[in-house]
Amino acid sequence: MLDPALELVLRGALALLFGSSALHKARDPAAFRAALEGYALLPARLGGVAVLALTSAEALLAATLLAPASLGARAPALLAAVALLGLYAAAIAVNLARGRRDIDCGCAGPRSRQPLSGWLVARNALLAALALACARGVAPRPLVWIDAVTVAGGIVLLAAAWSAAHGLLAHAAALARLPEGT
Amino acid sequence: MSDALLVSNLALWIAVLVLAAVVVALVRQIGVLHERLQPVGALALASAAQAGSAAPVVAATDLDGRPHTVGGPAADGRDTLLFFLSPSCPVCKALLPVLKTLGEAESRRLRVLLASDGPRGEHQAFASRAGLSLPYLLSTQLGVAYGVGKLPWAVLIDAAGVVRAHGLVNTREHLESLFEAQSLGVASIQEWVQRTRRGAA
Repeated sequence: MLDPALELVLRGALALLFGSSALHKARDPAAFRAALEGYALLPARLGGVAVLALTSAEALLAATLLAPASLGARAPALLAAVALLGLYAAAIAVNLARGRRDIDCGCAGPRSRQPLSGWLVARNALLAALALACARGVAPRPLVWIDAVTVAGGIVLLAAAWSAAHGLLAHAAALARLPEGT
Repeated sequence: MSDALLVSNLALWIAVLVLAAVVVALVRQIGVLHERLQPVGALALASAAQAGSAAPVVAATDLDGRPHTVGGPAADGRDTLLFFLSPSCPVCKALLPVLKTLGEAESRRLRVLLASDGPRGEHQAFASRAGLSLPYLLSTQLGVAYGVGKLPWAVLIDAAGVVRAHGLVNTREHLESLFEAQSLGVASIQEWVQRTRRGAA
């Protein structure tokens, strides 16, 4: 059982993640389609459908993760998030196994090109574990005003850590392309 | 006591968020550095063969699988005209008849080699469409060794294996200017024009 404040931090961060990811995809569906085709898992005919399906699934997830508990949609949304993260991790793992590391991950929008790596699979596994932890329910405890600080600070902190980690992964790839000793 | 913990907790939150902002800013700065380090536009290769210097020796096979060596002293005492082209470059196509005539008319003192890189099938189709009988080399290494950044690019190498002239050739006149430059002993016609202007001034 998670503390309600921690659960709120994790759920909020997951909603933010799926929301921003859906926004990236909706803004530039062509770029996401190109990334998807790079994965070479789907027939080209299904590319457009898959882009639409993944974008709307992510947007829907972001919305239901934030929905009031009385609707009863939270637990299914968390499990769906686990499934989607697992799907992405599997797609990355398949291409890693094929040796296709140099395709664009398509993870953080078209502006940050980032090759595939084992880190991305580990990252998705961690996110899925966090979503599962949230799905197990929360300990009953009344929320007080200091929890607002914890939740807001926690979400901002996770977003910053996320963006920094992605930046570092992209830079590591750029660094590997640079010649040594120049 | 609980007041003290509260204050300390809030202070720590502020410190953590400031540090997170610093980390994000640092990562962004690294990104900007990487962007500045990247070459803007076409990369000018420092290893480009200079007129008057020895031509890089590169072995390559042509479309028919025959081996050719570019650079180094020529066994038959002929000069070499190396012409870099691409099937997708219209100017290159326009120059092919000139090269064919040149190769036939001057065959006693000049060897004309075409050079490109990429998928073999595409080049074979291109060569048969254009009716090319000149040796057509496929080698990425060749283009890199001679620092070819633009097409069509021609390099004139004398029998001793020294680069005599090179440059972007868009017309028959440009191509002829390479031979003109060789006979004048300058790297390019531009250099000759500059020299004569300086001489006149």
